[in-house]
This record gives sequence, structure tokens and C-alpha cells, in this order.
Amino acid sequence: MNLKDCHNFSDFRKLAKKKLPSPIFHYIDGAADDEITYARNTSAFDDVDLVPNVLRGVEDVDLSTTIFGKKLDLPFYLAPTALQRLFHYDGERAVGKAAQKFKTMFGVSALATVSVEEISSMIDTPKMFQFYFHKDRGLNDSCLERAKAAKFDVMALTVDTITGGNRERDLRTGFTSPPKLTLASLFSFAVKPMWGINYLTKGKFELPHLQDYVKEGTDTNTSIGNYFSTMLDQSMNWKDAEKLCSQWGGHFALKGVMSVEDAKRAVDIGCTGIMVSNHGGRQLDGSRSPFDQLAEIVDAVGDKLDVICEGGIHRGTHMLKALSLGAKACSGGRLYLYALAAGGQAGVERAIEKYKTELVRDMKLMGCTKISDLNRDNLRFRR
Amino acid sequence: MSLKNCYNFEDFRKLAKKKLPYPIFHYIDGGADDESTLKRNTESFNDCDLVPNILASVGKPDLSTTLFGRKIDMPIFLSPAAMQRLYHYEGDMASARAADKFGTFYSMSSMGNNTIEEVSNISSGPKLFQLYVHKDRSISDDLIERSRRSGFDAMCLTVDTLVAGNRERDHRSGFTTPPKLTLKSLMSFIMRPEWVFNYLTHKKFELSNVAKKTDKGTNIAKSVMEYINEQYDPTMSWKDAEYCVKKWNGPFALKGVMSVEDAKRAIDIGCTAIMISNHGGRQLDGSRSPFDQVKAISDAVGDKLEIILDGGVRRGTHVLKALAAGAKACSFGKMFLFSLAAGGQKGVEKLLQNMQDEIRRNMVLMGCKNLKEIDSSKIIYRK
Repeated sequence: MNLKDCHNFSDFRKLAKKKLPSPIFHYIDGAADDEITYARNTSAFDDVDLVPNVLRGVEDVDLSTTIFGKKLDLPFYLAPTALQRLFHYDGERAVGKAAQKFKTMFGVSALATVSVEEISSMIDTPKMFQFYFHKDRGLNDSCLERAKAAKFDVMALTVDTITGGNRERDLRTGFTSPPKLTLASLFSFAVKPMWGINYLTKGKFELPHLQDYVKEGTDTNTSIGNYFSTMLDQSMNWKDAEKLCSQWGGHFALKGVMSVEDAKRAVDIGCTGIMVSNHGGRQLDGSRSPFDQLAEIVDAVGDKLDVICEGGIHRGTHMLKALSLGAKACSGGRLYLYALAAGGQAGVERAIEKYKTELVRDMKLMGCTKISDLNRDNLRFRR
Repeated sequence: MSLKNCYNFEDFRKLAKKKLPYPIFHYIDGGADDESTLKRNTESFNDCDLVPNILASVGKPDLSTTLFGRKIDMPIFLSPAAMQRLYHYEGDMASARAADKFGTFYSMSSMGNNTIEEVSNISSGPKLFQLYVHKDRSISDDLIERSRRSGFDAMCLTVDTLVAGNRERDHRSGFTTPPKLTLKSLMSFIMRPEWVFNYLTHKKFELSNVAKKTDKGTNIAKSVMEYINEQYDPTMSWKDAEYCVKKWNGPFALKGVMSVEDAKRAIDIGCTAIMISNHGGRQLDGSRSPFDQVKAISDAVGDKLEIILDGGVRRGTHVLKALAAGAKACSFGKMFLFSLAAGGQKGVEKLLQNMQDEIRRNMVLMGCKNLKEIDSSKIIYRK
């Protein structure tokens, strides 16, 4: 199996599984507790059906959308994810270049393995910086200032990682960053020599946004769950978010909003967008899926800020359903991370191309030529 | 596999399966008929989703509540379960000590292998006694009297066991107490010499609380079902229950209430609590699951009785959903029996620690500071 055999989400996933040492694969692939929410994030889309219109003249389809004041050629973007150089030695460089090629946005995590400065010198399409609220205020200020200086377009504050989720696959595999070699995991690294060679020869693994402030992520082994639980400020409240929002002074989003009430407060503190997200099912298992919750949130605040549906998206039709409900755009992590692991920049480009092709085909089949043609008349909920 | 690798229900179950002779394992693991109610008890939690609130500045949430007039440190406790020495030679002493350590209720079954007095000597923690109404009324009177003298806090009367359920796994495995050795089951005992050694070298197996009153369950090999059918009074009525309530004259629960109507009658006869339960799916297969029924019961009587959800609980998020639907606390049998079989007192402590960690983590992720904040606004039922 190689990249050209990858036609959909699960193909990329399979190839990634072949290429990655198992602790790393399962770090991407796993979720919290019994992974019920993770499964629901995708299966939620199956409870609603698309109703196409015919004879509309659909030769030219325009997939562009505008979020955070930026026009994107695609109605989806690549969500910020941590530690990308663990998945492929090019990491964020590969993802950023692929996003640029398709003129969509991509997110850079506070836990990125390439610096905002380097990314900004390389990519001139819209960029989002994802922010964690640390106990160390100096670190917070530094992240904010560096992202601002590097001319990032959007700041997204993650609000659903107040404490680490219970990711039991990581507990079993001993996933830490950098990877901790136990006897069991050593074997899986040994049978994937290419990964090991690239990891060791393609530049030192580091977390450039944190390394001046914390020892985690550089010279000690730490799990992501542990990082969330020990480094982040659990007392973070609405005042803190409001302060960050005004300190940033540009487009600002809360990532991980699930309740209507919180969505309204996000408007009040000056946010221009929210990601309806449960962190890909990786935090609170049993929590509601973004698609299940999308309509209520759009009804409440859809005219006041950009609502983004994040999580569970595997197909162009999933995006059509979310956009029809009123999401301004969709995003995902696993959406491109398996592809990154499977083939670096070429992998991510292939994944984006596949989703784009699906979207164009599905729009035509729906009888739509532009994103604003999509609305709730296109949908029927079963039940 | 060892205790320290036990992260969840399934892990404890696997380890218990390794340690127990199979007739004993299947006695815990099985349910009635086709076990559809057993399965539904847990699955029902997945038809409902949690909706977290963000930026709530939770800090360290308070898990304490009151039940049966006593403060407990978390909203879960150990259901009464018969014959615990079959699962681990420490039996009730292990579960009582573990519950005491975590500041919550241990429950003693009428069919325990330790006496009421033995347990009260080693635990000053919250204790619930579970009563069956025997055909010989003097047995029930004696149990109530001794529980009072020994400082038990509350009494529950099991009302869903008028006749034994059809537990087909036990028919096939030849489960009796003490275990009857058929040629087939003999092998599984021989393969687990540690269990056999401990069983034979520790205190003689008997139904300690009723040993003086009946020779059943002591020197006659008898299946639990036969014991139930022979000893328990199938004509037990509301009058008999009321008699027990009056005789006990303290916090009193009916265990096994499933209908709203019966919940209301429980108030009328002076109960202070009910345990919504189908006996872990071991009695009437096809009956409704506690979680499916808890909201209706809570809406009707939640302000007049303490409602305990018993059955299907395996995760901290299940507890939060039950509380949001109107329960005051949850209890579980199978889950702690597997942990008892897996490691005696240490096993039960590990389980309670896991659950406490899960509940606390999930409260933080939900944005809730205390259990009062877990109300009906925190869940949405899928239609």
C-alpha cells in the first residue's frame, strides 16, 4: 500500500498505521475512556440525510468561504495539532505548504514542533495560532507576542483541556514526548526503522514556543495528559479569556465550546469565532458531538460570530451537512494527520485534493454551485 | 496483566477471569436469559450526551454528598453482593475496608460470608445492610436487630428477587455454593491453584449471618437459585416491607424499584430512599434499564426520596449522567466484584481510586465545582 492507493480517510489511516511506531499511531488514533464520543462525532452525520435539487446548471462550483475576515478557497481548514514532527519529520512545514497550495487556513499549535517565525517566513496564506493558557504568564505573553509579530491572522484559545483526558491507549503504550522506550514500544520502533532514522537525522525534536519556559517537552518525558494537568492554569475563567482577546486585538476564537450559553458569552467577550468541538473525543467521553450540537449554537449566535464545526469529519458530504446547518467552515485534526504520517507534504496535499474533489462532486450532485446555496432545506433528520 | 494495568471495567474483568475458576467468574459475569437487560444497563448511558461548560475556573471539585444521613466523599458506593469469599479469600473484609478508606458506603448482603459483627469491628465507615425477607420471619428480625446493635447506618430491602432469575450460565457451569465439582469445572479449579489454596486455607465458607438459623448454604451443595426459591418468601407484600421499615426505624431503601408508581408507594410506607435496579440484569431479562428509567422516577419523587441508580455504571461519566438525570448517588456490584477477585482489598481500592479520578477529571472538564452543579441542564438526550 502506498499514497496513490489512498482514496479516503480510512486509507490514509491504514497507511499511517503501517508507517508509525504503535505508540505514536495510537496517540493520534485514540480518544478518551471508551471512545464513545469519538465514534459518535462521525456517526452523528448519519442521522441526517441530504436532499438534492436537480436541473440547476452546476458546471462551475465555487467552494470558497470567508471566515475571520479571510477568504479561503475551501470551506475547511487544517486544525491546529501538537507534535507534528513526531508524525512526519517535516511536521508543520509539510502541513503549512500543503494548506498554502490549496489556499486554505492551517493552525499552528502552542505545542508545535516548528516555530511561528519559521512558518510565517514560509507561508503567506491565512494562519491560526492555537493558544494554551499556562500557569506561567511570561510564557503566555511570549506566545501571544511571537504570534502577533509573525503576523498570524487568528488566535484560538483552547478551552476544553483544563485537565488531561483519560486516553487509555496512551497509558498502555507509554506514549510520551519524546517517546519513552519501554520494552514493548521498543519493538514497534524497531520494526519501523524509517521512522526512527528520520526522527534522529532530520533535525532535533523540540517545542520552540515553550522551550525557554518549561522543561517539559525538551529534556524530560511527559505525556500530553500530564502536560495539560500540570502546566495549564486550571483556574482560567471568562475574565482571562476576555483579557487575552483584547490583548490579541484581532480575530479571536474559543476552541471547544459546546453549550449555547457559553457560545453567547463568547460573543460578549468579543470573540469573532468559536470551534464547536470536543477535542476529537479525546477529553470528556460521553460528551455531545459537534454535529449534534451545531444547529442550536448556530441558531443562537450564528449571525454574530463564525461557527466552525470541528470533529468527526471524514467526507465531503459530512462538510456539506455541517455547512447546510449553518457552520461557516469545518476543520479537523485526524483529517490530515494520518495523511501527514502517510506521506508528508505530498500526503496532506493528496488528502486535501481528495476532500476537495468530493466536495465539488457532492455540490454538483446536490445542485449547488456555491457554499451559500447550502441551507437546512437540503437536510432531513431521521427520527 | 496485573492490578496496575487495570484502567477500566474491562481490565478488572479480564484479570478476574484469569484468577477465578470459570463457574465462579460466570456467576458474577452472567445475567438472566439472553442478557439483553444486562447489556442495556450500560448501553443506555450512550443515548444521552454531556454538555460541558468552559472557563468555569473549577479548581479542585468537591465530590462529596450525603446519603442515608451520612456524608460520603464521593457519589458512588459498593452494592450489596452475596458470598464475597468466593471471589477473594478476604471477602467482605476487603470491600468494607476499601470503602471505609474512600469514605463511602460498603453494603453487606444477607448472604455475606462474614458476620455483621465482624465487619462492624473493622470499619467505622458508612455501612448499609441488605435484607431479604425469609419465610422464617425470625431470621429477618434477627438481622435487623444485629445490624442496629452493630452500628449500621441504613437498611435496604431487596424486592426484585421473589423468585430466582434464569441465569443460564450457572446451569451450564454447575455453579453451586460451595462449588460443586463436576468433571468439567474441576479442570478450571485445578488450573487456578492459588484460588483453591486460599479458599481451603482460610476461614470456612459459610453464609455467616444466617448460619445459625438455617443449615442451607452451609453443608448442602445448593445453587444460589435454589436457595433463593427455598428460603425467600415469594408472598412478600407492601405490608411486609412496611413492617421492616418500622422495625428498623432509620434510613431505609427499597432495592429494585423500577416503576414510578412503586416509587411513590415507597414514600408512603416511610422509605427514605430507593435503589433503581434490575439486579444487574440478573433477574427479569427484557426489563428496563435503571438509567432509562431514572429521569421519570426522579421527576415524580426526587424531592421526597434519595434516588440511587444501581446497575450498568462503569465510568465516571456514567455517574455524572445519572446525577444529571436526578440520582443522588450510584452503586455497582459486578464492577467491584471483579476488582475484588482481581486483587482483594487492593483491587477494590484501585477501582475506587480509578473512579474517583475519573469523576474528578470529568467534573473539571464539565466545568462543575460540586455535585449540585450537575443538573438536568448538563445533559441532552438524543432523540
